[in-house]
Amino acid sequence: MNKLHFKVGLFAAASLLLAGMFVVYLLHARGFFEKTFHLQLAAASADGVAPGVPVVFSGIEIGRVTTLGLNENGGIIIHAEFLGRNAKWLKENSTFTLDKPIVGGAKIRVDSPDLKAPALPDNATMLLLTSDISKEIPALVDRVKAILDNVEHLTRKDGELNATLANAKTVTGRMTGEYGMLEGLLGSPEKARALTDSLDKTRALITKLDGLAAKADQWLFAEKGVAAQTRESLAQIRLLLNDAQSSLKKADVMMTNAVEISANVKDGTQDLAQLRAEIDDAVRKASDLVNQINRKWPFAREPEVKLP
Amino acid sequence: MNFLAASIESLGAKVVGWFTVGYAMAAFLARAGLLLLEPATWNRATFDVVVKQVYFTAVQILHVFLGYALVISWLIITIILSTARDFGLTEFASEMTIRVLVLELLPFLTALFVALRSGSAINTEVALMQVNSELDALAHCKVPPMQFEFLPRLVGGVVSVVTLAGLAGLLALLMGYLAIYGVNTAGFEPYTRTIAKIFDFKIMAGLLVKCALFGLAVTLIPVTAGLETPKKLFMVPVSVLRGMMRVFFAIVAIEVVSLALKYI
Repeated sequence: MNKLHFKVGLFAAASLLLAGMFVVYLLHARGFFEKTFHLQLAAASADGVAPGVPVVFSGIEIGRVTTLGLNENGGIIIHAEFLGRNAKWLKENSTFTLDKPIVGGAKIRVDSPDLKAPALPDNATMLLLTSDISKEIPALVDRVKAILDNVEHLTRKDGELNATLANAKTVTGRMTGEYGMLEGLLGSPEKARALTDSLDKTRALITKLDGLAAKADQWLFAEKGVAAQTRESLAQIRLLLNDAQSSLKKADVMMTNAVEISANVKDGTQDLAQLRAEIDDAVRKASDLVNQINRKWPFAREPEVKLP
Repeated sequence: MNFLAASIESLGAKVVGWFTVGYAMAAFLARAGLLLLEPATWNRATFDVVVKQVYFTAVQILHVFLGYALVISWLIITIILSTARDFGLTEFASEMTIRVLVLELLPFLTALFVALRSGSAINTEVALMQVNSELDALAHCKVPPMQFEFLPRLVGGVVSVVTLAGLAGLLALLMGYLAIYGVNTAGFEPYTRTIAKIFDFKIMAGLLVKCALFGLAVTLIPVTAGLETPKKLFMVPVSVLRGMMRVFFAIVAIEVVSLALKYI
C-alpha cells in the first residue's frame, strides 16, 4: 500500500465529501428542492423597487422581488418569489407595504394580522401600499418649526416663563434662609422673626393662664373656697340691702316731709333735726354696706354710692 | 535629449520584456491546455505525478494550514462581531464575516501560502533543471517534460489551492456560526438564510474561478520563470526572485479584478 497515495486519496475524498455536502446544503438553503411561490403586487409607483428588493415578514426576509413592469393600463406589477416553506406567512388578509427608510434600502413589509386566515394561492395579485417617510418629512418639519416658535416665545428674555422662574427663585431662596418656609411666605426675615416672637409669647402666656386656671379652680371651687363663702356673704348682703332699703324709704318720707317743711319753716325746726339724723343713719348704713361688699368682693376698687 | 531617448529606450525594453514574458506564459499555458485535452496525456504515470504534487502542495501542509486558517478566522470574526455590535450593526455581522473571510481573505491567504511554499520550490527546481540541461536530457529520453514535469504541477497547484481555500472557507463558516450563535442549533435558520443570500451561482462560480486562477498563478509563473533562466548557476536566485515577484503581482491583480467585478 502506497502511504502517499492513501493520504492524498483520503484528502481528496474528504474534500469532495465536504464540497458535496456544502453544495447540497447550499441548494437546500436556496430552495432548490422546494416549490417556488410566486406573488404579484400591484402598485401605484415603483419608486425604489428593483429586482432583489427583499420582502420581509416580522423583520425576517422571506422572499425577493424578481421583476417589475407595467401592465396594459399603465399600472405597475411587481413579481416576487418566495421559497415554498415561507409561503405559509402569506395570508388572504395580509397587507403589503413598501417601506423606504431614510437610511438603508427599500423593502416590502408583509403584515399578516390573522395567521389562521386562508393561505394566499400561488400567483395571486395583491395591492402594494406605500409608506414613504421622506414625503412626510416636510410636514413634520413645519410642525416642529411651529413648536420651536412657541418655545422661543415662552423663553424670550422678558417672557412670562423667565419672570415666573425668577419669582420661584426668590421664593425658594428665602425658603433656604434662617426662617425657611415662613420667610418664603412673609417675604423677609424680620417679619418672620416677629411672627415667631409672637408665637413664643403666646405660648408663654398660655402656660401662665394654664397655671392661673388651675389656681382659680382651687381657690374658687375647693371645699372652703371663695364660691362657698360668697354664697354665705350674699345672704348677709341681702339682709343688709333690705336694711338699707328700709332706711332709704324712711329717708324718702322724710324728704317729702322736708318739701312741705320748707314751705312751713316755722313748724319744721324740730323735724329738720330729726331728718338730719335719719339721713345720717341711711348714709352710714349704705357706707357700711359698701364696706361689707368691698371686703367680700375684692375686685371692685372704687365703689361709689351715690346718694339720691 | 540623450537622457530622454535613453529613458524612452529603457521603457521600451521593459514593455518588450513584459510582452515577452506574457507571451511565453500564454504560449506555455496554451500548450499545457492542449496537452490536457489529449487523451494520451492521462496515463498512470502523469496521474502519479499529479498525486505526488497534490501531496506535497496540499496534504503535507494541511494541519499547519488549517491551524493557521482557524486562528486568523477566529481573530477576524471576533473583530468584526465586536465592531458591528459597537456600531449597532449586528444584523450585518454574519454576512460581513462570510464575505470578508470566505470570499476574499482566505483564498488570497491560501494562494500566498502555496506560492511561498510550493511556488518558490517549483521555480528553483525548474531553474536548476534548465541550468543543468536536465530538461533536454528528459526530452531526449522520450520523457516530454511538459507532460511529466510541468502539467502535473499546474494541475496539482490548481487542485491544491481550490481545495485548501474551500476547506478554510468551510472552517471559517463553522467558526462564524460558533462565534455568533454558540454551540447550539438555534441559529441554524438565520445562518442558512444569510448563506443562501450570499452564495448565489455567480458568487460560487466566481470563487471557484478565482481560486483556480490563484492556483494557476502560483505554479505557472514559477515554471515559466524557471524556464527562462540563462544556463548559469548564479542566475538561479535571480530567476526565483523574478518569479516570486511576478507571482505576487499576479495574485494581487487577480484579487483586485475579482473585487472590481463583484462590487463595481
